[in-house]
Amino acid sequence: MSRATPLVLVVDDDPSIRQTLSRELEAAGYETISAGDGVEGKAKFEESRPDLVITDLAMPRADGMAVITAVRRIDRTPVIVLSVRGEEEDKVRALDRGADDYITKPFSLRELLARVRTQIRRAEAGPVAEVLRFPGLEIDRARRTVVRDGQDVRLTPTELAILELLAGHAGRPVTLRQIIAKVWKGAPATTVDTVRVHVGSLRRKLEPDAANPRYIGTEPWVGYRFLAELVE
Amino acid sequence: MATDPRAISRRGAAAWVALPFAAALVTLLARFAEANATTAGFAYLLLVLGLATWGGWAVGAAASVVAMACFNFFFLPPFGTLTIQDPANWAALVTFLIASTVASRLVATAQRRAEEAQSRQREVEILYDLCFSLFAASQRPGVLGEAAARTLRAIGAESGGLYLAGQEAPASTFGPELPPIDRDLRQRALETQEIVEADGAVLLPLHVGGMTNGVLVARGPSAPRAVLESAGRLLALAIERERLLGEAAHLEAVRESDTLKTSLLRAVSHDLRTPLTAMRLEIESLEGRLAGQPEALASLGGLSLEQGRLSRRIDNLLSLARLEGGVARPHPEPVPPAALFRSARESLSLILADRAVEIRVAPHCPDVWADPSLALETLVNLLENAARAAPASQPLELAAGPDPEAHDKVRLEVLDRGPGLPPGVKRMLQGTRDLRRTEDDAAGDSAAGGLGLRIARGLADANGGVLTLLDRPGGGTIARLILPAAPEPPDPEEGA
Repeated sequence: MSRATPLVLVVDDDPSIRQTLSRELEAAGYETISAGDGVEGKAKFEESRPDLVITDLAMPRADGMAVITAVRRIDRTPVIVLSVRGEEEDKVRALDRGADDYITKPFSLRELLARVRTQIRRAEAGPVAEVLRFPGLEIDRARRTVVRDGQDVRLTPTELAILELLAGHAGRPVTLRQIIAKVWKGAPATTVDTVRVHVGSLRRKLEPDAANPRYIGTEPWVGYRFLAELVE
Repeated sequence: MATDPRAISRRGAAAWVALPFAAALVTLLARFAEANATTAGFAYLLLVLGLATWGGWAVGAAASVVAMACFNFFFLPPFGTLTIQDPANWAALVTFLIASTVASRLVATAQRRAEEAQSRQREVEILYDLCFSLFAASQRPGVLGEAAARTLRAIGAESGGLYLAGQEAPASTFGPELPPIDRDLRQRALETQEIVEADGAVLLPLHVGGMTNGVLVARGPSAPRAVLESAGRLLALAIERERLLGEAAHLEAVRESDTLKTSLLRAVSHDLRTPLTAMRLEIESLEGRLAGQPEALASLGGLSLEQGRLSRRIDNLLSLARLEGGVARPHPEPVPPAALFRSARESLSLILADRAVEIRVAPHCPDVWADPSLALETLVNLLENAARAAPASQPLELAAGPDPEAHDKVRLEVLDRGPGLPPGVKRMLQGTRDLRRTEDDAAGDSAAGGLGLRIARGLADANGGVLTLLDRPGGGTIARLILPAAPEPPDPEEGA
């Protein structure tokens, strides 16, 4: 990232949300620009090349989907989508089209800022490390070992591949379609049920307390999110 | 009409009458021309063939006998007697008789076949015309009466009417008047699926694909029975098409209405949630700026709680509107109870900020098979009610485990140590499934968040679950949500 202060583009058709978000993001140490619809959003993105885009999905003229497409045509700038309940299918489509995360209105400012920080950090970080360390969990991608609380966890190759994918996207949602594409290389016979079966088995081996999952969270409609944060 | 049997019999009678006159005429002409026996024989043969063509084989046979007698009497010696002198003439006479009989028979057969072919052609023409007028000429729905009238015209009926199955009065009538038709006769035609004739009327059952969808009553139809049966089937097809067109129009209307409802709900959802989001952002923003002002922060906390409550109620109402409007069906998937509990606590983080919540998930508790959003919403409503009912000093409990009464169910429970169930809520849960508020339930509403409870029950129903509220031993309430268990996953290592 070339800027000392990350620049965030906020695209939402509601002026009060735009203003509040811009003000709070600035208070949290970011620079902001904003746009009132998808067309303006695309233009501002191309003009200023921000470090992060926050976009509403339902907007007049070009919608949030058009913004995501325009961003992905140029680069991997993180995109967070603002959706509302009842637009679950749109949310999944947005993620599959290249959005990095979503947050459901009405959302908490703290939650949004946390997601923004995760995305900015991800964009600043280099390639995924060989050894991923989380509180109580270490995944060695080269040696293909998983150690939880000092004990080896024996995983099947499929479970390990799912875990590596989720942990490599820690804090961000991974859709079922993305898992099928990455782990099964899009094999046509793979269904979401297959993914769920393997994730269920992975959870049983990995989670020390079924009542309080520490690592693998379920994202309704979408897929999964790795809950733990990387230890530096 | 050539195919009319009455016309054929009239023509036969005329040929019989013409037979003696024709025989006399041929004899006179042959005598006048002083024809020899051979010429006269051919002339009589022509007479026989002509009469056989005109009146059929019987007239032809009779003409053969008469011609043979005249031939013998007038042209074979001795003339003027029916005796034969020369034995060679016997051979001529017998040959004439055989030739004329066979020829008349052949001619009559050919004539009959030609007439039958004409008749078939006519039947096909009638049915083709009917087919065209029923199916090609009109694509408009709502033309049953017109279709019946076209059919009656095609079969040459003077008048008639269409009775649809299950209807007492005719759906449409045609012609000057329709004499009353006995209901039993119509019923017989419907049940036997065969043509019934009575009082100069013909009752055609209209059956297609094993179903009889009505009876066509035709008075004095001229078309033969085969045409009547086929016409009945065509009309039945036209009625069936009419019904399908009606259904298609209805489905299209329903689809359009669903699309409208979906887009309306989306718009309402977006328009309601956008200001709620702005409110929430402003509240949080204010919290940062009011640091160090405990009174203002306390007021803001109250505002924040109410904003959260309003958001949840709107979520509830929109979910119910979607389900009841049929524009969204639940999408069940396996959901771990622990994930539901975690999300429910996060959804109520403000309300539960200073409260202890104990979570218990049985070691081998299966996942629930539910729509995650609806299941979460149900649970949030129950947890919110429990938090409101129970004193803040008492912990709330969330428990999940296999249902001991059914191995394919999971029991999720929200337990509190509040005052227990108010009578209004008990009545509501035991009573009607209708979620609308009634005066009788008003007490329950105010006592324990009745609206939230009603909605929770509606959402539980939509998820294929059952919600019950029980008095908890030792005081308090158990809200028990029983949901289907997700199918047990096979061991992936076996297939991996």
